[in-house]
Amino acid sequence: MSVALAARLIDVLGGLLLFTMLLILAAGQVFRAIYAVAAQAVFLGIAGAVLAAATGNVDLWIIAFITIVAKAIVLPWLLIRVVRRVQISREIEPVIPVHLTLTLAAGIVVLAFHLNASLGPVRQTVTGNALPVGVTLILIGVLVMASRRKALVQMVGLFASENGIFFTAMAISQGMPLIIEIGVILDVVLGALVMGILVLRVRSSVDTDIADLESLKG
Amino acid sequence: MTSHLLWITPLVPFAVGLAMLLVRDRRVQTALDVGGSLAVLGLALAVARAVTDHGAVTALGVFRADALAVVFLLLVGLLAVAVSIATVGWMRREVARGEIRAERVRFYFALVHGFVATMVVTVLADNLGILWIAMEGTTITSALLVGFHGDKHGLEAAWKYIIVTTIGISFGLFGTVLFYGAAVHAQGGVFAGAMNWSSIAAIAHRLDPGIIRIGFIFVMVGYGTKAGLAPVHMWLPDAHSQAPTPVSALLSGALIKCALFGIIRFHAIARDACGPEFSHGLLLVFGLVSIVVATPFIIVQHDLKRLLGYHSVEHVGIIALGLGFGGRLGTYGALLHVVNHGVTKALVFLVAGDAIGRYGTRDMRLMKGFLGVAPIAGTLLLLGAFSLAGTPPFSIFVSELIVIRAGLAGGRFVAVAVFLAMVVVIFAGLIHHVGQLAFGTADGTVERGREPLSPLVALVLLAVVMVLFGVWIPVNPDRVLSAATEIVVG
Amino acid sequence: METTPAPVVRTIAQAALLVLAAPLVTGYVQKLKARLQCRAGASVWQPYRDLSKLLRKGTVQSDTATPFFRAIPVLVLAATATATAMLPVLWAPAGATVPLGDAILLVGLLALARFLLAVGALDAGGAFGGMGASREMTVGLLVEPALMLTVFSVAVSAGTTDVNLLAARRAPLLLSWTAPDLLALFGMLILALAETGRIPVDNPDTHLELTMLHEGMLLEHSGPGLACIALATHVKQLVTLTLVAALFLPVGLARDASPPAIALALAAFAAKVLALATFLGLVESSYAKLRFFRVPQFLGLGLVCAFLALALRVL
Repeated sequence: MSVALAARLIDVLGGLLLFTMLLILAAGQVFRAIYAVAAQAVFLGIAGAVLAAATGNVDLWIIAFITIVAKAIVLPWLLIRVVRRVQISREIEPVIPVHLTLTLAAGIVVLAFHLNASLGPVRQTVTGNALPVGVTLILIGVLVMASRRKALVQMVGLFASENGIFFTAMAISQGMPLIIEIGVILDVVLGALVMGILVLRVRSSVDTDIADLESLKG
Repeated sequence: MTSHLLWITPLVPFAVGLAMLLVRDRRVQTALDVGGSLAVLGLALAVARAVTDHGAVTALGVFRADALAVVFLLLVGLLAVAVSIATVGWMRREVARGEIRAERVRFYFALVHGFVATMVVTVLADNLGILWIAMEGTTITSALLVGFHGDKHGLEAAWKYIIVTTIGISFGLFGTVLFYGAAVHAQGGVFAGAMNWSSIAAIAHRLDPGIIRIGFIFVMVGYGTKAGLAPVHMWLPDAHSQAPTPVSALLSGALIKCALFGIIRFHAIARDACGPEFSHGLLLVFGLVSIVVATPFIIVQHDLKRLLGYHSVEHVGIIALGLGFGGRLGTYGALLHVVNHGVTKALVFLVAGDAIGRYGTRDMRLMKGFLGVAPIAGTLLLLGAFSLAGTPPFSIFVSELIVIRAGLAGGRFVAVAVFLAMVVVIFAGLIHHVGQLAFGTADGTVERGREPLSPLVALVLLAVVMVLFGVWIPVNPDRVLSAATEIVVG
Repeated sequence: METTPAPVVRTIAQAALLVLAAPLVTGYVQKLKARLQCRAGASVWQPYRDLSKLLRKGTVQSDTATPFFRAIPVLVLAATATATAMLPVLWAPAGATVPLGDAILLVGLLALARFLLAVGALDAGGAFGGMGASREMTVGLLVEPALMLTVFSVAVSAGTTDVNLLAARRAPLLLSWTAPDLLALFGMLILALAETGRIPVDNPDTHLELTMLHEGMLLEHSGPGLACIALATHVKQLVTLTLVAALFLPVGLARDASPPAIALALAAFAAKVLALATFLGLVESSYAKLRFFRVPQFLGLGLVCAFLALALRVL
């Protein structure tokens, strides 16, 4: 697979990732957000496979596979289990109105791509539009976390953010070293586990959503 | 031989932590705990000796111990020992009062040692990816520790902690990825050790400034979140106050310094790649903002441990300020402050834990007459508070003075003026709060038992270091600090 | 060489095809929905029967309506039918059809039709008319700019807003889609749901007062007038689908009048419209209608996609 074709495919996958990110932002129900972030992980895995075919780096095949298993299957399954156990209401109540967050998201995308255009030849280090898409996903993930009151949606925003980082990391030259990528994925899964534990513990002792606790102030 | 030390040092606490899971006898637990920490300190000293004799040591291509790492490593080791000694008495009290169930004690010790292990890996890492993974590991272990008591406030603090720091650290990962990309681009392709700090620092002047600037901003925000720099410091007062006291001491004393270690490593690269003004400027701004933001909260605080948490924010700001002033003087001051603040803050947290245990509340308005209740601990509390406020002859005064001198030498009069004003305000506030606590007469509900050895030995140990560094810095630490300064200043 | 028919004939032929085939598309979507609901459903030719039934009926008009009210159905149908003449259905290249107008005029004609319907609904003086008109105009407010942005984002890459030229120029680029193309497509699909008045924006099968958008405006029309408007609605739906096909899937368009080329173009057109109509039917069957106050949120997503498609094209 030629590098030019790989760049085009990465472009397309970047567009798909952007769209799923917007879906997460506009999602009205927790399940839709979880499915969107799972779809993101699938696109991420495909991107890894494309890059592996283009650069001949065997590690990327392994990373793509692990990404799909860990982030498209294990993490969403974990999240859905917690949602079912916690039996929270499915509706997501945003703190900031949705159209405002959508506008902010559009602004972030424009900013990220503008930033990318202002970089010089170092842009070629990163295949396709992975750098601005990565930055966009990170920042919109933070936006999701800041503008939602439900713990699980905050976690989804976190995972989406990390998907953005992964996308850029995979597309930089030939991807980061294998050990690092595995370590990062492991950390993400462990972090998700701990967060799930915390959410469930709060549910069992106090009957609210952990992200709603606001007593520590000042 | 010495390179083996580098991977043994984190392995010891990790193994101890695993072993703790299997041990149920209290005495064996205590022995393992203290013994493990002493082993870490011993290994740290051995590494320090090796580095001062032979220069930087590397192992396995991913670890590296140079003077900078040694400074932080010794701090972690020292605090681990002090905390372990203090935990003996603290745990006894907690179990007796039913705050922690006896069968969960082993999880606590396992987590603490895992926490220490991850911190050791952080400071010994040469590979920037390993640095990040270890940093995330500290978040995971300490989040469970923060929420260990299982009460509503603790869980809320733990949740805020893990969410904010994980997203912050993700920013740091992105910055790391960008640095890696810049290095690969400069070298024309992937090369062995492309993720290692030492390799990237060697070619730092060839890195593309645009990408490094973006990367450094992400790193500052990311690792800065973990370090407690404003404006992303919101989790710190909650987490440090709700955590069990020994864990608070470790968090405030060691963990936020490890995050600063990460920033310093990246700063050393960015300084060469895009000129010193950029990273110095960012550090200056973040530092000053942290100091200014923390001050009002310190004044109006009622919760003792929360007060100390905000104080940590302020001091991290001072360290960032010192780094931002730059030059030999500023960096030396910042690194010295890392050690001094770590030691002093741990001391004060441990004493505060003792006080809270006796009074049964964290509200300072309800705590009075601590000096009368526990003379030695009370004296140490007063000494520690004066030290934190920046009084001579204690160590923090020395490092703050060096930072101020660096600022004046660099012509940053406005920053120094703001800093001094804040320090004065904080001095007043802190002395007022602690004075209220220490003096006066306590009412009858206070537990007045004799002062057990367990926290006292640790407290005295830390106090000795605190006073020592305030009066005179011994030759070897001075040499190590100077060598570390060289690494950062380049 | 065969002589090509005059461009005028071709234009009229394409327009006639669209107008005549429009009810069939609606019938197909209804049949699909019925099948998904495990019903037999009415036949696909039912809309034609409905139209002929309406034509035979008399007209009843509200007392408060002005004489202009009688003209509105005809004007709406005229506007929509004229819009059909600007789309490449079978033939693509420049000069093949009369250049009546470009995409901007097309969207403008559709907007004119919407406006006329709203005016008529208000003119009749009924409460449902007023409510339906205000809701429909709100939706139009959000949809039309987004539609323009999508068209512009595609037009920027082809250098023209004439849909025929656009389709011709983009035909060879089909396999090299980029991120803006994808975003524009997703945005367009969301907007198509709004333009065709389907769930989750509007329910075309309902006549409950609180759930009507489009239907509310039709209540006061009857007889042949209603037939004209119903046909106009079908045609608008087909125009939207053809626009999507022309912008994003310009394959199989003929270059001359040879029978094989025409047959291929007809087959390609049928396939594209069928696929898009299936999409409409599936979405209608899978989702529930949104509360009206949530519709802006949904359309906002489409607007953001369209905006980003244009922005990414430029950056």
